[in-house]
Amino acid sequence: MSLLSAFNRQCQGAPDNIAFVEGDRQLNYQQLIQQACQLSACLTNTKNPYRRVVIALDRGIDAAIAILAVLGAGACYIPLDIKNPANRLNYIINDAAPQCIIGKGHRPDWLETSALWLDIDQTAFVQSSTSWPAEVDAEALAAILYTSGSTGAPKGVALSHRALSNFAGWAACNFKISPCDRIASLAPFHFDLSIFDLFSSLSCGASVHFVPSGLTMSPSRLTAWLSEYCISVFYTVPSLLSFIALKGSLSTTPLPDLKTVLFAGEVFPTPQLKKLCALLPAVDFYNLYGPTETNVCCYWPVDRDRLQTDRPIPIGYPACGAVLKIDAEMGELQVQSANNLSGYWQQGELIAALSTDNYYHTGDKVSLNERGEYCYHGRLDRMLKCSGYRVEPAEIEAVLLQCPEVTGCAVIGITDSSSGQRPAAAVVLKPGAKLEAIVRPIKQKLPTYMQPCKFIVLDSLPYLSNGKTDYQTLHQQLEKN
Amino acid sequence: MKKKLRDFIFQELVFIADPAQFSDDDDLLEAGLDSMGIMRLIMFIENEYGVTLPDTEIEPDNVQSFNALEQWILRHQNG
Repeated sequence: MSLLSAFNRQCQGAPDNIAFVEGDRQLNYQQLIQQACQLSACLTNTKNPYRRVVIALDRGIDAAIAILAVLGAGACYIPLDIKNPANRLNYIINDAAPQCIIGKGHRPDWLETSALWLDIDQTAFVQSSTSWPAEVDAEALAAILYTSGSTGAPKGVALSHRALSNFAGWAACNFKISPCDRIASLAPFHFDLSIFDLFSSLSCGASVHFVPSGLTMSPSRLTAWLSEYCISVFYTVPSLLSFIALKGSLSTTPLPDLKTVLFAGEVFPTPQLKKLCALLPAVDFYNLYGPTETNVCCYWPVDRDRLQTDRPIPIGYPACGAVLKIDAEMGELQVQSANNLSGYWQQGELIAALSTDNYYHTGDKVSLNERGEYCYHGRLDRMLKCSGYRVEPAEIEAVLLQCPEVTGCAVIGITDSSSGQRPAAAVVLKPGAKLEAIVRPIKQKLPTYMQPCKFIVLDSLPYLSNGKTDYQTLHQQLEKN
Repeated sequence: MKKKLRDFIFQELVFIADPAQFSDDDDLLEAGLDSMGIMRLIMFIENEYGVTLPDTEIEPDNVQSFNALEQWILRHQNG
């Protein structure tokens, strides 16, 4: 069933069910589809139909309505992280080449595009029918999610209706989502975890509860919130779950309604997972694996009896009907799946991203264990995972090299036992230049999670005899300091 | 105590141009201390000072500045 028709069926069958809750605001399915239709009408009442619409709104009900409206209008949504620096946002908008941007309030000053700015608060009085559109072509693009790119600039992963609905349907069925479920949504919409929060939930008539953003800094208030809202399903990143296990007051806040916890985005260190499992004995945990390009292609229902502190957990078995194979030479995981991306979106065009036999090459090194489960062994390239965010060192290096003081640089990841990887940079400066001079431009141009936590200044970068950067020596230098 | 906290935060968690210019009242959260940084900071403090910081006190207010951090730790060292 398509992405929109499953939602539509819930709106007709159970219009009074609660769909979204955010603070004091809540919408039932009937109200949600009405508001989405209204906004959708603004997008279709134009001479030329919109094909791509940027969502410049914070995570929450307004942004979710906008996403549904865009899909209802037969267009593709491009969610922004509006906390990103303006130069990165402008890069993404120019690359996406949208016809319209949905935001709140006046058109912001930093915006460089000539695309139409639509204030979501000014769309409420437009006349519209409440009929939801007929089927959308399954191969039509539904979303472009921008992630960090290895070429030094953000990269748009273009996903079709087919890809989103294949994943949403699999997850809804596999994790037995029902209208009784109350799902906590914390992932920003440019993060693929949000596809579960929005579409698996709405296709089953469940309710989505947006987690107030400040709560990630206070794990015991987060668990109190999960308890108060009787959350039954939560899909998030391991680093946050580690924080909850460590300091979330779970021994006094037992979360009796919580049934299912899904995690993805980075490796969950086994000691922390074990601790969390002990604190939440009745919860089913699942390790979901897959890059944005394939969404979840592998998953492991956590087997508590097999958690050994010194052994990483497997990524498990093929998910979402994916066919997996391991490249014999490099051990690289390759994925054929209905979830697979349609291509990379680049400068207004779709660029092919799959091999001729439709496999996506993940760049992740994997193996099969004696039980037939896939196990993850890190990247074949330099990509980092920082608090679940994918970070390409090349993108940080490109920004560093834009500073006139910098003549050379290399970024690596420093691994931390509790919170995954963090970027660290070695830079070579022009004679007389000071490190201080480059910090401000870096803070202005990179989102927080991409900013190096550590810098060292070197006279020259270490090189191997073949002329390539010697990352091993750099690791030693950066971890020593 | 503040010197140790400054060294740890500026070397491991938040990079700023000139730590000497960062006052003990300046806002660490604005400077880039995020939830994962707070988790690592708490583990560091508990190991370094032999205190147990209660779960319910892990709030932005207590980690907002070096002065706030020091007062928070001292409350538990003396308690």
